[in-house]
Amino acid sequence: MDLDELYRLLRSSHVRAMGIVDTLRDPLVVLGPDLTVISANPAFYRAFEASADETVGQSFTTLGNGQWDIDELNQLLREVVPKSASIYDYEVTADFPHVGRKTMLITAQRVEHPDRQHRILLVSIVDATARRRKEAEKDILIGEFDHRLKNLMSVTRALARQTTVKGRSAADYRDDLIARLDALGRSLQVSANRDTTSLSELTAQLIEPYQGGSSRIEVTPGPPVPLISAQAMSLGMVLHELATNALKYGALSGAGGQVRIGWAPEEDPDGVAMVRLHWDESGGPKTAPPDSHGFGTRLITVSMEHELGGRAEFDFRPEGLRAELVFPRRD
Amino acid sequence: MTRMQDDDPHAALRLVLVVEDEPLIALDIQMMLEDHGYGVQGPAGSIEAALALLDRARPDLAVLDLNLHGKLVLPVAERLLALGVPFILASAYASAEFTGRNRIFTDVQRVDKPILERCLLEALGRASACGPPAAPRPS
Repeated sequence: MDLDELYRLLRSSHVRAMGIVDTLRDPLVVLGPDLTVISANPAFYRAFEASADETVGQSFTTLGNGQWDIDELNQLLREVVPKSASIYDYEVTADFPHVGRKTMLITAQRVEHPDRQHRILLVSIVDATARRRKEAEKDILIGEFDHRLKNLMSVTRALARQTTVKGRSAADYRDDLIARLDALGRSLQVSANRDTTSLSELTAQLIEPYQGGSSRIEVTPGPPVPLISAQAMSLGMVLHELATNALKYGALSGAGGQVRIGWAPEEDPDGVAMVRLHWDESGGPKTAPPDSHGFGTRLITVSMEHELGGRAEFDFRPEGLRAELVFPRRD
Repeated sequence: MTRMQDDDPHAALRLVLVVEDEPLIALDIQMMLEDHGYGVQGPAGSIEAALALLDRARPDLAVLDLNLHGKLVLPVAERLLALGVPFILASAYASAEFTGRNRIFTDVQRVDKPILERCLLEALGRASACGPPAAPRPS
């Protein structure tokens, strides 16, 4: 092998090595044993918006505005060469010049060199800012989910505890409780994973369990009314209580009775846009006002007043109950 | 279990303000308290509604949900403190650090959600025995 050949060989492996380093997407810095920067790859210059002039020949700890000048990191880096130690994913969160607040993971290893004279450190830096932010967002989501789950548990317990047991068989209690849980589930399903749902969709879902062979609940939808999720859940439970009451004591308790549902927009005296939903029963037995302290009645009142910011009006006509639910639009 | 007036020694016709944004839970707390001889003011589903109730009558005790549609119940707690009304917190957020920055909540009795009837009554009993929380010292 003559000298020209040797030169070409060395040159091509050097070029190849440089090509590999330059192609790496993560910033890479080569440091001497005293932590002076020997070289850095283009990814490093891009990531920190730095130039070779202000980087090469400087101590690693003085780069930028000294963001890497951390006693613990210094100590660790100084041990890499003499002890052949390694650093994996040492986390540094700091405000970097030009690029702002970042979370960086540092990995450093000694590069073995055959002549044992040139001991150098290879330091790779991974920008974990986006990953950490996603992890933080995930934690918030999990916390929110946990909160909703506990809330749902509370609601379930409330339904189980407040569904009447007095003077009723266990089977009756079970059926009532399951019907309430179903109504809760349907209301949640209609409103879940969406910002808004519509009143006609909610009504259709909630009366579905009561639609036997012949449709005895007739819905004549009014103009579209979007509902936010909290409205949908409360209104769903109210509609269920009206339906279950009709089934036990009202128009749906015998053959031939019917319920008509519809709604219309209106304005309250202050000009606030409201919705008036009517629930008309006919053809059932004679009605009388129910126990005002029963759970169903109180649930309707509390839901309408506190969650929906509206009111429920009842008219116990001889031909059947007429209920009107008035609440402000929230769109 | 029948719905009986199971008089709690602390209850004796005491009026409890209930502030809770989830209607079903509010109703449940109300009915639990009524079962044990307490009178209920509310339930209020928002800070504004709770403050409006307090303008009309002073309760003997209060049960506050910490978070009402994303808003801390702090203004209600401050008004209760000014009125000298002891209160307890009910929250599904288990961590104390959530309220740690508000010294007004430091010594307040808490019940976790889902609320157990016994825990609610005991916390109210203790709050009633201890009196209103001490006003935070100005920093």
